[in-house]
Amino acid sequence: MHPIFRLVNRNLTISLNMGFVIWQVIFPVIYIFVAGFAYTSLIHSVPFGSKNLNYPAFIASGMIGFNIMNSTLISGIIIWNDRRHGMFEQILVGPFTRAQYILSNVYTIGIIGLVSAGLITAIGYPLFFKSIEFNALTIPLVVFASITGAILFGSIASIISTRLKSSEGFNVVINTVFLFFAFVSTAFYPAEGAPPILAIAFYLNPLTYLVDVVRAGIFDNFTQTVGYEMIVLITGAVTLFIIATKLLSRLEI
Amino acid sequence: MLCIEAKSLSRSYGNVIAVDSIDLSVEQGKIFGFLGPNGAGKTTTMKLLTTLVSPSSGTITILGIDTSRYPLAVRKKIGVVLQQPSYEPTLTVEKSLEEYGMMWDVDPKTRKDRVEELLSTFDLQDIRKKKNDDISIGQRRRVQVAREFMHDMDLLFLDEPTAGLDPSARRGLLDYIKGKVQNGLTIFFTTHILEEAEYLCDKIAIINRGKIIAIDTPDELKNKFGREKTIKIRIGNVKDISSVLQGVGNYEVGYDEGTIITIHSADSEQVLVKILQALQSNNIPVEDLSVVPTSLEEIFLTVVKNSNASNISSGK
Ligand SMILES: Nc1ncnc2c1ncn2[C@@H]1O[C@H](COP(=O)(O)OP(=O)(O)OP(=O)(O)O)[C@@H](O)[C@H]1O
Ligand SMILES: [Mg+2]
Repeated sequence: MHPIFRLVNRNLTISLNMGFVIWQVIFPVIYIFVAGFAYTSLIHSVPFGSKNLNYPAFIASGMIGFNIMNSTLISGIIIWNDRRHGMFEQILVGPFTRAQYILSNVYTIGIIGLVSAGLITAIGYPLFFKSIEFNALTIPLVVFASITGAILFGSIASIISTRLKSSEGFNVVINTVFLFFAFVSTAFYPAEGAPPILAIAFYLNPLTYLVDVVRAGIFDNFTQTVGYEMIVLITGAVTLFIIATKLLSRLEI
Repeated sequence: MLCIEAKSLSRSYGNVIAVDSIDLSVEQGKIFGFLGPNGAGKTTTMKLLTTLVSPSSGTITILGIDTSRYPLAVRKKIGVVLQQPSYEPTLTVEKSLEEYGMMWDVDPKTRKDRVEELLSTFDLQDIRKKKNDDISIGQRRRVQVAREFMHDMDLLFLDEPTAGLDPSARRGLLDYIKGKVQNGLTIFFTTHILEEAEYLCDKIAIINRGKIIAIDTPDELKNKFGREKTIKIRIGNVKDISSVLQGVGNYEVGYDEGTIITIHSADSEQVLVKILQALQSNNIPVEDLSVVPTSLEEIFLTVVKNSNASNISSGK
């Protein structure tokens, strides 16, 4: 087996446990049902392109983007734990290079992101089957979002994990950053109708772009704006990935 | 064949010279012991040899491969147990051995057999289902050392592998290592426990403040630095022993159920003869006589002390 796949295999072995599955799949599903239906009485429909989506459909699709972001936490946690428990050095003194270590983390995120996005889509399907419009772009757009999102948020989590010293610090920072990303985004509410300052803040947030691309795929609404958003995502992902790789390669042992 | 060859190897951290222009050569199939006080540069040397950190200057060849040009090729052929603990907290003991074998691309059948063999050898059967997070520090160290034997290698680096192990686990590990060396493995080993080095090593280097201050076989080190024998003579209570022993050479007198004369010098034997003659001519009977064998520990202490003293006198 190729060294990267051996590392991915190892990453999955150490990270897949009950707590993770709850966080990754069960929690989002509960959220879709509870929040989706609780708010339906308040928010009747959400304008989306030329269509109107019902709120559960809106939030279920937002949850896919949110979930892709969430799965990247795993990469930060792996790097963080590897440093804390000595496995980082042990791996680097084994038959692997630093580049392979980093890539294996990205692959791990990609796999977890795709699988959990798939699960949420499957479970969320009954909620938004009315408005769902499978088309030639659905799967390519969702896969695109998963991969760029995995690299982008994975790099952010990696950057944070290489910069911090104490474990409490890591959890606090990562939760704050990701909570901010989650709520200041179009994952849970549309930018239309939000106060102007908030609407601007939405578009300073990579999760918004990710969610917009996922929605465009699911509800067949590919526009020029979505095209630009994809360019922003790719640029952000590549830039942050380069920074993360540099930081990780320079990490003193 | 030389398994390890390092030439004028140095490494600095800021203005601390952790390793200062050392030369090393280790032959295949031998156990090389690396001793030295805390902060002497043992771990840094090991990290240099295993490509974990790069040298400030000097060259390293491991198993015939230049570490600066082909670090990955070197790492594929060696095993390393670092001084720092390393473990997968969420995995059980047996799973972490298995997973480590997978990481080294060992085939599943061999992996399974080795897990069983190592669990028994390292006395881990009772805790095989426990998570690494839930076992003791010494047990974790045993898992860490055992794990390294999951894969094949030509050269094994062990940085204080026995730290934290109980005496029986320690002896078990040393004997296991000895067996592996008989099958052709070469070992680079650091320790603070001198008996361990004496028991195990074919050759020993002592490092202090980044410099190698002695390097030889344990026996030769004793010959070179162990000439200062200690001899103890016990006699009954004698009133004025110092006048009896006037002019015989260097000795010390202590009292413990009688009078104890201790000779400690490079020419202990000659002093002994003179003392015995003086005692005999004064009709003082010898009750007991013993020679304290030179231990590696004494050599270690002497060599390190001399090296510190010469550093101070040369203004370092
Ligand atoms: N990462 C580092 N940054 C700065 N200084 C370091 C670093 N690692 C080691 N040193 C310094 O280098 C010197 C040698 O350290 P090293 O860890 O090699 O000692 P050692 O012989 O292994 O000691 P011990 O017996 O305590 O394990 C020490 O003075 C130490 O402070
Ligand atoms: Mg050390």
